[in-house]
Amino acid sequence: MDTTGSILESIGVEIIGVMSPVSICMFLVVLLISFLSSTTTPTTSSIRTAANLVYLETPSDSTTQKLEGALLNAAVFILLITLVTFLLVILYYYRFTNFLKYYIRFSALMVLGSMGGSILLSIIQIGNIPIDCVTFTVILLNFTVLGVVSVFSNGVPILVNQMYMVALGIIVAVWFTKLPEWTTWVLLVALALYDLVAVLAPGGPLKMLVELASSRDEELPALVYEARPNVGSRAGSRGQSLGVLLAGVSEGEAVELSVMSSSENVGSDGRGVSETRSGNVGRDGRGANETSGNVGRDGRGLNETRRGNVGRDGRGLNETRSGNVGRDGRGMNETRSENEEIDGVREVEIEGETLPLMGGGDGRERAMANEEIRESNESDRGRVLERIIEGAEERERGIRLGLGDFVFYSVLVGRAAMYDMMTVYACYLAIISGLACTLILLAVCRHALPALPISIALGVIFYFLTRLLMEPFVVGTSTNLLMF
Amino acid sequence: MTVAAGIGYALVALGPSLSLFLALISKKPFLILTLLSSTLVWLMSLIVMSALSRAFLPLKTTVWWPYTILILTSVGFQEALRILFWKVYKKLEDILDAFADRVSKPRLFMTDKMQIALAGGLGHGVAHAVFFCLGLLTPAFGPATYYVEKCPKMPFFLVSAIIALAFATIHTFSMVIAFSGYEEGNKVDQCFAPVVHFIAGMLTLINLAFGGCTISIPLLYCVAIVTLVHCGKMAWRRLIENRSREGNLSNSQ
Repeated sequence: MDTTGSILESIGVEIIGVMSPVSICMFLVVLLISFLSSTTTPTTSSIRTAANLVYLETPSDSTTQKLEGALLNAAVFILLITLVTFLLVILYYYRFTNFLKYYIRFSALMVLGSMGGSILLSIIQIGNIPIDCVTFTVILLNFTVLGVVSVFSNGVPILVNQMYMVALGIIVAVWFTKLPEWTTWVLLVALALYDLVAVLAPGGPLKMLVELASSRDEELPALVYEARPNVGSRAGSRGQSLGVLLAGVSEGEAVELSVMSSSENVGSDGRGVSETRSGNVGRDGRGANETSGNVGRDGRGLNETRRGNVGRDGRGLNETRSGNVGRDGRGMNETRSENEEIDGVREVEIEGETLPLMGGGDGRERAMANEEIRESNESDRGRVLERIIEGAEERERGIRLGLGDFVFYSVLVGRAAMYDMMTVYACYLAIISGLACTLILLAVCRHALPALPISIALGVIFYFLTRLLMEPFVVGTSTNLLMF
Repeated sequence: MTVAAGIGYALVALGPSLSLFLALISKKPFLILTLLSSTLVWLMSLIVMSALSRAFLPLKTTVWWPYTILILTSVGFQEALRILFWKVYKKLEDILDAFADRVSKPRLFMTDKMQIALAGGLGHGVAHAVFFCLGLLTPAFGPATYYVEKCPKMPFFLVSAIIALAFATIHTFSMVIAFSGYEEGNKVDQCFAPVVHFIAGMLTLINLAFGGCTISIPLLYCVAIVTLVHCGKMAWRRLIENRSREGNLSNSQ
């Protein structure tokens, strides 16, 4: 066929880069749930209502009590989340960034170690896997430690980081599906609404957080999945640059997970972003050639910044590189860091205008440097990591999706999996198309967007349509072996 | 053992689609998006049909005419959607071409267009197999199996997997045929897809008779093979034409 690389290969790379981890996460959650649901696992829901795995009740025979209880649960939960998010904003505002960072690491430790451990245990029990407790401990310990290390560190390959993000999402999602059915549905809807308000309304905590972070040139200390362009299999793609997407946020604190959702991707502020970007660039780019810039900006951060960068370049970079190379030969050009950030400077100018095009809208083929802000800047430490990727023709930034979105998408699908597989497929399609709509919107309006509302709305609608209308119909026709 | 059986049924229904997906679609993100959106379109059509049939058609009865109406309306509806899909695709193609011009890449090749059609068709086929076969497969992973009373020879899951495979093939390739028919203004190809779809749907009506599945399945496969052969011939013809045109082009230069 066409060897010259048609544009089919270059369009939609970023969308797929976000969709594939979400799909993987959902798929694994569904697998885990259908595997685990054969027995009842110890109920440890942090929400008051008893968790019940086998709760098969049709919504038609709802008691008002259930509805009330669910509403109450959701209200309390949302209230808690709001409070915690505001707390986070306050802490962040006063620059307790290290505290936040360690707290998040600690949460990751707890999630991976205890929740992940107990899920692992039940897998072992159900699967009758012969394993002794020493081996188990060693495996769990290694798994957990690597996960914690990968959360905010720059030296860890991005692939590991992404895998752990997905793993965290899976674990929390599996945990959440232990909530009773009504509570789950009401909670999902409530979270979607909350996400909408928190990200878009003026004064919404997430919006404040995002703006605060971008005004400081930092990224939020939060668990965010970053779809790095390099990582997704991209074949020659430089198709489009989607701005950063801010995705939803959510944090399940109930679970101790403080995933704060940070979803911010840049989007939210196109402007924010640009500032951030330019800021960084300024920092490293110009400065960097020789750090003077850095110095100017924050004196003390400097050394560290440097170090951080170096670390990244050193190892992180190599890997990234190799990844690219493996995937598409030209990875090399893309990742260069720092040293060549000079190009970055160029980008600054363009930055304001660059936007995503998607959907094939209009390409921007300007040669610009691609750059990406590397996540995790921890301000205090001053490790701002930034990487500039320069692409031959366009710049792409990674789309970032809050871990909370992973979790709640998966919760929806997992809940659907407890009913039937058909609802799972319908919900999966609905969520994925909602995500695609969100990404397209992101490209259009270029500021941080909540990723939950569209997907959750579609998912819930399709779930009930499938369950109430389609399933009886399909079962009716196909048990008569009628198909069309 | 039952897990193996369940996986086996799933692979019977979806194996060819899966390999098509892995070999062709998964390498091109745009095709994945096409596939997903076409799957979603099909799902929505199914939901609409089920809503309509729940409202107007009593399916509990043992008479066959409601089923005939059902299949007629469903096929009609889905064929209308196919035309809609084509119109949307046409717009998209213009956008893509404009985009390609901007990034100074080549415009869509003829094979690209056929791949998009294939991805769209595969979406329909996969959706069909998923909802009519895979969605019902969960019990197959447990102990025991299930036989439909009208078709006592084979387990229900196997029958539905086999039928789903035939339909997936028909959907996948008739989309390619239809798109090329629309593009070339070829009436025969344009009518081919609806007719084949309709015939295939009608053939499953035979399953309502006792033991009908032994008759309908071979017939269904004949239809699938006809579709496949027709699509193959058409693709071959277009490729040859395309190549000779390109050849002429380069010769003349």
